[in-house]
Formats: sequence, C-alpha cells, structure tokens
Amino acid sequence: MEYILHILILIGIYVILAESLNLIVGYTGLLSIAHAAFYGVGAYVAAIMALKVGSPFLLNTICAVVISGLLGGLVGIPSLRIKDHYFVIATFAFQIIAFSILNNWVSFTGGPMGLPGIPQPSIFGWVISSHIEFLLLVSVFATLTFWICQRIISSPFGRVLTAIREDEVFALAAGKNVALYKVAVFAIGSGMAAIAGALYAHYISFIDPTSFTVMESIFIISIVIIGGAGSLWGPIIGAVLLVILPEVLRFVGMPSSIAANMRQILYGGLLVAFMMWRPQGLIGKYGFKLEDTKK
Amino acid sequence: MQILINILVTASHILLIATGFSLIFYTARFFHFAHGIIFVAGAYLAFFLSTWLNMPLAVSIILSIILCATIGCLIELAIYRPLRKKKSSELIFLLVSLGIYIILQNIISMVFGDSTKILRPNSVTEGIAVLGSRITPIQLTSIFVSLTLIGILVLFLNRTKIGICIRAVANDSDLANISGISSRKVFVWVFGIGSALAGLAGILVALDVDMTPAMGMNALMLGVVAVIVGGVNSLPGIALGALLLATAQHLGIWFIGSQWQDTIIFVILVLFLLFRPEGFFGKKIKSATV
Repeated sequence: MEYILHILILIGIYVILAESLNLIVGYTGLLSIAHAAFYGVGAYVAAIMALKVGSPFLLNTICAVVISGLLGGLVGIPSLRIKDHYFVIATFAFQIIAFSILNNWVSFTGGPMGLPGIPQPSIFGWVISSHIEFLLLVSVFATLTFWICQRIISSPFGRVLTAIREDEVFALAAGKNVALYKVAVFAIGSGMAAIAGALYAHYISFIDPTSFTVMESIFIISIVIIGGAGSLWGPIIGAVLLVILPEVLRFVGMPSSIAANMRQILYGGLLVAFMMWRPQGLIGKYGFKLEDTKK
Repeated sequence: MQILINILVTASHILLIATGFSLIFYTARFFHFAHGIIFVAGAYLAFFLSTWLNMPLAVSIILSIILCATIGCLIELAIYRPLRKKKSSELIFLLVSLGIYIILQNIISMVFGDSTKILRPNSVTEGIAVLGSRITPIQLTSIFVSLTLIGILVLFLNRTKIGICIRAVANDSDLANISGISSRKVFVWVFGIGSALAGLAGILVALDVDMTPAMGMNALMLGVVAVIVGGVNSLPGIALGALLLATAQHLGIWFIGSQWQDTIIFVILVLFLLFRPEGFFGKKIKSATV
C-alpha cells in the first residue's frame, strides 16, 4: 500500500513538472532542457530554508516559487535574441551551470553529499507525516497547477502564447510584445516547477544534485511529448505512463543493476518512436511542425 | 610551458569533435546530440576490441573508427532519412537525437559498467622533454593526427567531387537537388565522416586520460561551444574556438579549481549566444524569416 501511494505521489510531482513545462514547450513552442534545474532550485531553496531558518512549509514553497520564477525570467531573456536550437543550447547551458553550482557550492548546498534531514511539512500546525496525507497535499498542489494552467491557456494571455508558437512574426505584426510574453511564460513555468521541487524535498527529506541532472530534464520533456504537448491532459497521461512503466519492469523480475539503464532506454526509445510516428504525442495537438507546412 | 602543451592537447581533442559536429550541423542543419555518444562509442569499441578480443591496439583503433562511421550512417539511414521525408522540424530532429543518445549511453553502461576504464596499453610512460616540460607520445600523436585530419578534410571538401557536393547541399539543398546532386547520398557521407571524427576523438581522449559512459555529454558540449564561439562553417574560427575553450579550461583549473570548468565553458557560451551568436568568423544568422 505504501508502495502504491509512493507511486501516486511521484505521479503527482511529475504532473506538476510536466504541466508547467507544457506551458513553455507545448503552448509557446520554446523547447527548454532546463526544467530539472528549476525543479532543483525549488527543492534546494525549500530545503535550505527549512534546515537553516526553520521556516514553515508554505513560506518555503512561496520563496522557492519566487526565486525560481525570477531565475526563469532571467533565462528566458536569451530567447529574445536567439531562436530554436540555439535557445535549446542556451537552456542546456543553464542546466549544466545550475547542476555544477548545486554540486560544487559545498558550504551552502552540501555538494554531492546533499542535504539530509529535511523536516516533514506542517501547515498551520498540521504535520504531514503519513503517505496518505502527503498524497493529499501533492494532489492539492497538482490540481492547483492544473487549474492555473487551464486559466492561463483559456485567457487572452494564453492565446497570444499559442499565436507565438504558430507564427511569431504574425504575433509581432499583430502588435503583441512577443519578448515580454516569452519571458513571462518562462518565469511562470519555472516558478511552478519549484512547487514540485519543494514538495519533493519535503517528501523524500533528502536531496542531492543527482536528482536534478540533464537526464531528469529530458525525462520531463519525454513526459510532455509522449503525453501530448499543447494539450492540458497530455502531460497527465504522460506522467502516469512514464512513472508506472518502469515499475512494471521491476515486476517482470529485472535485476535492479540494469533496471535503471532499462528505464532510460525505455523512455529514450519512446521519445524516438513518438517523434518518428506520432510527434503530437498520445493526445496532443502541437507536433513541432515546420512553419511552412502548417498552412 | 606545461600548461601551453596541455592547452594544445585539449584543443586538438575539442577540434576533432567540433569539426565533425559542425560538418553535420552545417549540412543537415540540426543539433545532432547523438554525436556525443558516438564519441563515447569510439572509445569503448576500441577498449572492447583491444582488451576483450585481444586485438592489437592499432587494428582495434582503426576498426572502431570504421564501426563509428557505420553507426553514424545507420542512424542517418534508419532514423533521420524517414524524418526528413516527412519534413519534420529541426526540434523533432533534436529530440530524436537526444533519444538516440540516451539509448546508446545506457547500452554502453549496461555492457561495460559505469566505472572508469583505461585504454592506455602499458603503464604511464614518462613524457618526452620539450623545453623543460613533458609531453607524452599519445599527446603528441593526438595534436599531429587532429591537425593532419583537419587538413585532409579541407582538401576533401574543396578538391573531391563528393566534397564539393557536400558543400553544395550545405549551401542550399533544394538547389543542389535541382542540379542533380543526390542530397540523400551526401547526408550519408556527412554522417559517416562526422562520426568517424567523433569516434577518433573519443579514442584519443581515452588514450590520454580515461573513459566513462557519461563523458559524451561534456565532450559534445565542448565541441558545440567551440562551433558556436568560432562560427559555424568556419574552420579557422572553430580552431580558434577550440583554443579559447582549452585555454579557459586550463587557466580556470589553475586559478579557480577544476570543479568549476563546466561553469566557465558555459558562461562563455551564454555570453557568445547573447552578444555574438554568429561567433568569431561566422556569417550573421538570419533572424526571423517569413
């Protein structure tokens, strides 16, 4: 039972990550390989505040969101000047820099040893200690994220984002401040990733930099793409599928020494297969089409 | 003086990766992430042939370079060609190559394990003394080999028929097709040559230091940064970029500490992307096209 709850909690955390990345990748069409970095920033801000200041969970989460959102805005600024794969490389660079800071700033982040002993979250005196309570907490945040994404998408703001994805020059010509929208969506998406980070830090109660590597970023991208970029339910389906599938491997009796490798081969293979035969994902609408084939 | 030699050796490694990458990037016009894993595959294939099958080192190096070229061609034929037929966007290519990277890296770490492997044939030899500093024969070879190969590549691109076809397709693949050049054939050539260069770079690095399955990402990024800093399609630029990166890396180790070398490299990259995205010698990148 604990095990099933654990899987559900993980799914909840990945739903938050995938929905927030979906805003950036699926709706605005900016492919970012830095999402695990923002996830990590969220986790570390929350953990450091809980350990060194002893502040309550909600305050930690809010701080994590604000700091990660500001950083996201900063990283979004290059997108004003560079396009497509150059932007991907810039986010990639940020991911590597973030990882090496987490890994090397030993006095502040604990370095490769990580930060152990993060306390259980308490909200107004209610200490969340059991798995079932934590699942409740994660579900509340996942629903909140989903709701915010839905509000953003159906707002005029969201329609401009889709317009930027479909035809950036057209959006510019229509008098939209494309640059501002891009930075804003990057900041919002990164801020929401920090929620997942804070939840993860308080749930596992131990964080180290290896949870926030490039591979993790690619995993989150796979969730979005396999589920369906540019649709609200796609990332949820992707998260359920990609979190549960590797667990199935465990049950068919695969030794744990190669299970981790098989897990990555599995989602690498899925990524290639989907891009080749179904680039819009299971239920998505946006298939990274070329601009001149859209007409 | 010693630091100068180290810079030259590192630069020659970066140069090999970067040239292969830029050949592919400039012709096929997408970020071929799997280039990084072919670099790793080269080193591990050489290790496999020489240590597990007891082949002589020279034979296994040549064989594994050929195998790398074959892997590159196969990736192009089996995956990129169908994608190109569907007119997929460059982001799809990029994601697919990331997928290939992950698959191959995990296969390598499943077969060989994650621990560090050494390709060096015998124990550490004392280097040859040059002007009061030391250079090992392998380091000397790698500088020599990479310079020679780049020279041959320049001749190949400018003097042979296939080379000229490659440049024509890189310039404008539609126009090249109209003039009767088969761009499909050219892409296979490009991936073959690029992958062979990557494989060789992997072997040279493994001979000089050591190898792990995860070393590909960093090596690739060094190559990519050298290409961006130098300017795509400018060999002198890329060479300068490789030198700059190697210098930054070694001076960084000297003054700040080796753990920050990735950060230094990527800060350079971000600065270039922000202020001079076309690199030292590259042409202006077209901004938005309608």
